[in-house]
Amino acid sequence: METLFSGRSIWTMVHGVVLGGGALMALAAALFCLWVMRTANGATVGAELASRRLAWLTVFAAVALWLTVILGTYIIFGPYRATPPEGATDLTQFPRALLRSTPDTAWLHSIAMEMKEHIPWVTAMLTTAVAFVAMRSRSKLLSDASLNRMAMTLLGISFILASVAALLGVFINKVAPLE
Amino acid sequence: MSTSQRVGVEATNGAALAAFLAGGIGAFALALIVILNEVGIFSAPTLYGPAGGVTGRTALGTVAWLVAWAVLHKRWKDRQVDPARVFAVTLGLIAAAVVLLFPPVWQLL
Repeated sequence: METLFSGRSIWTMVHGVVLGGGALMALAAALFCLWVMRTANGATVGAELASRRLAWLTVFAAVALWLTVILGTYIIFGPYRATPPEGATDLTQFPRALLRSTPDTAWLHSIAMEMKEHIPWVTAMLTTAVAFVAMRSRSKLLSDASLNRMAMTLLGISFILASVAALLGVFINKVAPLE
Repeated sequence: MSTSQRVGVEATNGAALAAFLAGGIGAFALALIVILNEVGIFSAPTLYGPAGGVTGRTALGTVAWLVAWAVLHKRWKDRQVDPARVFAVTLGLIAAAVVLLFPPVWQLL
């Protein structure tokens, strides 16, 4: 009996949907919390419990992003860039070669995948920085206006960059899925 | 940073700003490593053959980020630092990194 999903396909879904999708949701939730839970500058009353939950949310986002980039780089990228044997005409098992085989899809490797190789690592670094501050400074992240603004900006940048990477991943997987 | 001063650990923002700035430095370091690789000046060693050079580039960028963070944290953890200046530098580094990591830019070099 033929299996519904190959092992490579399942890894791709774990990378993009479970971890990447989870990270995007956590980033969006953390951004929302940073915005609505901030207190007047200097006021920390009542912020302790809420800030602890927010801190763990940012930690979850950072861990999910690191797992996404590590899985994507070390598990998925290898099969993606595998070189087809000489004279091969069926390139469905070689996504990079398949994308580069026609001018219409070549950009999905030369721009989309090249961006996906590096940009998500930036999001992991920035989100980790915010998670560190959220864990260490707790309520100060909500009561200190400058820290709150910086954390929101960095998480916002991470969210946008991760969203772009995710969208490019969908495009690539639509044209040349790893099966 | 000239605007920083030593104050009590609980009241300082130095550790937080060190983490934020290190994030910007890490992003820019990764972009610099990628650009140097693209123009053929420096090629990071491959850590995992099937995945190719991206493993070395990202690992090196991650190490640069952690080293920058460790150094900044040690220097700033008990200091009050000017947040506006750190914020501006961090955003500048991230913006430069994003531009340098956009593949069409590589064609211009």
